[in-house]
Amino acid sequence: MTFRHERLPNGLEIVAEVTDDALSTSVGFFVKTGARDETDATWGVSHFLEHMVFKGTTELSADEINRRFDWMGASANAFTSEEDTVYHAAVLPAQQHEATALLAAMMRPALRAEDFATEKLVILEEIRMYDDQPPFGADERCRAAFFAEHPLGRSVLGTVESIESLPVEAMREYHVRRYAPGNIVLAATGAVDFTALVETARRYCGEWEALPPSARDTWRAGRGPTGDVRETIVRPAATLAYGVRMSAGPAGDDPERFAAKLLATVLGDDSGSRLYWALVDPGTAEQASCHHQDFRDAGLFATQLACEAGDAPALLDEVTGIYAEAARSGITAAELEQARNKLAGRVVLVGERPRRRLFSVGLEWARSGRYRSVADDLAIVEGLSLDDLHRVMDSWPLHGPAATVLAGPSAIPETSGAGDPQGAGGAEPV
Amino acid sequence: MRGEDRYPLKQQLFSTTLANGIVLLGESLPALESAAVAFHLPAGAVHDGAGRCGLATLSGEMMLRGAGDRSSREVIESLEGAGVQWAHSVSTSHASFAGAMVARQLVAALPIYADIIRRPRLPEDELDPARQMVLRNLAGTEDDPAHRAMSALRQLHYPAPWGMPAEGISAEVAALGIDEVRDYVARRVIPRGTIIAVAGRIDWPLVVERMAELFGDWATAADAPPASGPRGSRIRHVHHDSQQTHIALGWSAPPYAADASYEASAALAILGGGSSSRLFTEVRERRGLCYSVSAGYHTLRDHAMAVCYSGASTARAQETLDVMLAEIRRLPGTLESAELERVKARAKSALVMQQESSAARAGDIARRWYHLRAMRSLAEELDRYDRLSVDSIEAWLADHPPAGLTVVSLGREPLEVPDDIQA
Repeated sequence: MTFRHERLPNGLEIVAEVTDDALSTSVGFFVKTGARDETDATWGVSHFLEHMVFKGTTELSADEINRRFDWMGASANAFTSEEDTVYHAAVLPAQQHEATALLAAMMRPALRAEDFATEKLVILEEIRMYDDQPPFGADERCRAAFFAEHPLGRSVLGTVESIESLPVEAMREYHVRRYAPGNIVLAATGAVDFTALVETARRYCGEWEALPPSARDTWRAGRGPTGDVRETIVRPAATLAYGVRMSAGPAGDDPERFAAKLLATVLGDDSGSRLYWALVDPGTAEQASCHHQDFRDAGLFATQLACEAGDAPALLDEVTGIYAEAARSGITAAELEQARNKLAGRVVLVGERPRRRLFSVGLEWARSGRYRSVADDLAIVEGLSLDDLHRVMDSWPLHGPAATVLAGPSAIPETSGAGDPQGAGGAEPV
Repeated sequence: MRGEDRYPLKQQLFSTTLANGIVLLGESLPALESAAVAFHLPAGAVHDGAGRCGLATLSGEMMLRGAGDRSSREVIESLEGAGVQWAHSVSTSHASFAGAMVARQLVAALPIYADIIRRPRLPEDELDPARQMVLRNLAGTEDDPAHRAMSALRQLHYPAPWGMPAEGISAEVAALGIDEVRDYVARRVIPRGTIIAVAGRIDWPLVVERMAELFGDWATAADAPPASGPRGSRIRHVHHDSQQTHIALGWSAPPYAADASYEASAALAILGGGSSSRLFTEVRERRGLCYSVSAGYHTLRDHAMAVCYSGASTARAQETLDVMLAEIRRLPGTLESAELERVKARAKSALVMQQESSAARAGDIARRWYHLRAMRSLAEELDRYDRLSVDSIEAWLADHPPAGLTVVSLGREPLEVPDDIQA
């Protein structure tokens, strides 16, 4: 595996992790823009624009784009998050140029008003689809509560109202500003011909006009909520209740973030974690898990719970009790070892698939301008110690102030009630 | 070699059968760092029995709760301690235990799986937690409207018990006892019908040697196939208080082992298999009716189905169904060679890229063996796609036009289903 990097005069960066004997090539355009770059008036525009990018350019129709991807056997798609919009295609190596050139052309979409009107209907369907599914909006409401007024709390899809009122002109203006070449990384992994990749980029992206860098808002609101915030959402058709709890954690530029991820694995991995043995294995909860999520300048621990509605408040107390107990008594060497082996296994399995590596390489470069190989990641995992985990728990107590949202079939009691035996080991004020 | 497709036409495939009937399959992928193993046991939901829907799933869950010298917790911790990404599932035909790991850990992982499969403790005090877990999962699927619509479609379309939901039925799971679980494991977790596949960075002779040590002296029991029952009604609406109405519809197709399955699956890919497919173009791109619409091919060993799905808001669901049906009716006699070329390209890419995942390969060679009773190489598979022509697909469609549709809708209001497609 070798790493390559090049920068075009207009600011577009090109990075590649080249694996000569790979069977496929993955390419992607990583645009440094997302929900956090929106305002009230443009809420949802990043994701809507991602859809519009597939609706064609002045020379290419939407049908033509779809046909070309299918014709080259590409597995192509896109996603939008709070911070990034990513367009990607996995192809056989012979299609590297075709796939890159097509994606490059798409970065300059026509944004036709009639397509905008039709695609608006699709976005509204997507919003309704997610709204009908667990956790029934609890995740988005929780993020909004955690980040309070900051744009990181904006839901990526927007709302029915914000999408209905969005004019096409606002999207065109947003596109010019946010899709400037200096704001985009072209990344590739697998069997990459890097010289040819740079040549394709020069030909299809070299003429893009360089613009001064567009400033991004920063997270100045401190470390998440200072006290507990709790909300409920009632969904009569729901069978189970779904809880999401977010407390502050290390940010994406904090070296402690790796220990935070290992800590979340010990406490709340989908299997074999403390939450698993306490809540999932006994059949008490359908799901009880915790993971660490980081943004450029913010981070959080997100706990997800699915259980019977009546049990939800007590089980949330039990979860915070488990976190408090871990902070008090510490993590064991055996837990550390098991979690390290698990993460190392995942790193290796992801590392051998170019289409998965693309996201690690592209997102990391877009965020930090740095590259970490699979071997680097393994070395980080191997180097983490109990002290690292304990330090993270001290600095970022998972049982501390948090935003919590519960969605369920009926009004869920606010608390589990004093002396409820289910809440044994309940949260200690720290 | 840069710029050339270099998919491996020289695959290293292996197979052997142990004396007790276990089929052992392997694929060496020396470029990978990982190895994966998949155990497919003939203990799928099709053997649940009347009034016991969910028995296979509960039994599979119980098998993980203590095995050999390991307690329930030690089973999971020994797998995860070895860095094994483990998975367990029960489908219509099989109970499956799988794991992917750094290749050198395979030797440590196999004895754990041997304990789970041959020496499950099935302790009575774990029955209730396991049952609660199955019931909670079932409740979770109730909250997934697309899953519910597809599950109802399979239940209506396939003859019982082939369409029964593997996840179970609450009231029936609630009534199951430990004796039924123990009896089920004794009857169904048996060597005959078991397929074990390994893929990745493996040493095949060593794998065979270890498997023979771990599974060679496992005595076989009789394997009785389930009897097929009647099919359900063809049209059903399920009331659900959701913003979208979910539409799942299907009609009969040849199972994978039949030669015509390639024609059927190519026709369905043209209908709804990619972003340039007819359903995606007409339903989503032209009309903006939905976010998600697709058609695909679903196969059991003796039965298979063409499946279409979409979800659209209540007010637009009828139009969505009408456009889907119009595209289905329009299919015979209108296929274009460019459409077929795109389907071939997508299939070829997908097959090649699967070689980059040991877990995907182990699962795939096991599944293909179940259907074909043989391994099928990538070259054979690609060749079969190459031999597809518009004429061969049209000939198949002319003999088997979409008819006798089963239609499920799930949402606030029922949909009108025209009579002609039900014939």
